[in-house]
Amino acid sequence: MIEVLKPGLETSVQDFPGRIGYWNQGFPPSGPMDSWSFRLANILVGNAPGAAGLEAQYIGPTLRFQRDTVIALTGADMGAKLDHAPVPLWRSVAVRAGQVLTMGAAKIGTRGYLAVAGGIATEPWLGSRSTFHQAGVGGMDGSALKIGHVIPVAAGAGIAGREVKHSARPPIRTDRRWDVEVCAGPNDDWIDAAGQARFLSADWKLSAKSNRTGFRLDGPEWTFAEKATNKPPEHGSLPSNIIDHGYPLGAINLAGQTPIILVNDGPSMGGFINPYTVPSAVFWKLGQSKPGEIYNFRQISVEDAQTMVRQRKAVCSEASIL
Amino acid sequence: MATEVRTQTAGNMWKVLVKPGDAVKAGETLFVMEVMKMEVAHEAPADGAVTAVHVAEGAEGLDADQLVVEIG
Repeated sequence: MIEVLKPGLETSVQDFPGRIGYWNQGFPPSGPMDSWSFRLANILVGNAPGAAGLEAQYIGPTLRFQRDTVIALTGADMGAKLDHAPVPLWRSVAVRAGQVLTMGAAKIGTRGYLAVAGGIATEPWLGSRSTFHQAGVGGMDGSALKIGHVIPVAAGAGIAGREVKHSARPPIRTDRRWDVEVCAGPNDDWIDAAGQARFLSADWKLSAKSNRTGFRLDGPEWTFAEKATNKPPEHGSLPSNIIDHGYPLGAINLAGQTPIILVNDGPSMGGFINPYTVPSAVFWKLGQSKPGEIYNFRQISVEDAQTMVRQRKAVCSEASIL
Repeated sequence: MATEVRTQTAGNMWKVLVKPGDAVKAGETLFVMEVMKMEVAHEAPADGAVTAVHVAEGAEGLDADQLVVEIG
């Protein structure tokens, strides 16, 4: 059991791959935004890669452990301390009952992950422990952590001192600029050739109005193909309007002139076009970037995106432990 | 002894509520940051007078641990 002394900015229970199979009924997968770091944390403590752990965003929580266990921290560097001793990232660490883990502001990266041997054992909802707080389901009573929550943890025997190889860790950028892979479509044909070229060459700045629902981007104006401007009225009045349709996860959803990447807790349908899609294997970059940082998009094929998923799965394994 | 109040998170400066010369009380909100569509209020850790404000309202893309307000 873990007692929440301070919740952090919006810390939540997540598992991987999250709540899969209900997108057609409006339920997003949720799950950790940086599933690369998340899975490695679980492997360090001897859990299955997808076992439930904590995702801390921007400001980490302060937690008291009620029994001896083994934990691992990965992802963003939140300057974590166990009592007063610094806790290394990417390494499993023994914790004694009564010790307090203090996580602060994210200095490098944005989202930090905590895995506990045995895994967090909240009640699953629709097959997942992931928190989707907008619907009030999953995790701790459907919400982010609150002061006084006591998080249940299953029994598990982790081994301290295990470390992730440097080559297997996600390369979190510190120069405020990220190359983000995208696949074209489903509605890239609503954007004219100049607009497509502009999208792939421009600097796109991440807005502070971004959260686990959507990542809002500031950048140049979009220009549209004939298909977007000369269409039946039922599509709507803006060039970016289309008859309501399903959205792919990772869609770069164009609301008027504002692109919003629909991420883990995003909507499953609506009436805007999605000219490009960020593949799931790239979500970790979104999860570790900060407002004001720049994205440069690079187009890849769907086959390349599928290969990335398989490569990531291979990296998130025992083979990456020293 | 000057007190420094630093950003607790990356994000934007949504509101700056004090200016140099203002007297502030411990617990009073000095500035409010915005991130993930949430407001993050930053409070004075002690009584005193504001001697400097280093970040303007509306500033974007701030890092965590950036100096914003000094209290004398």
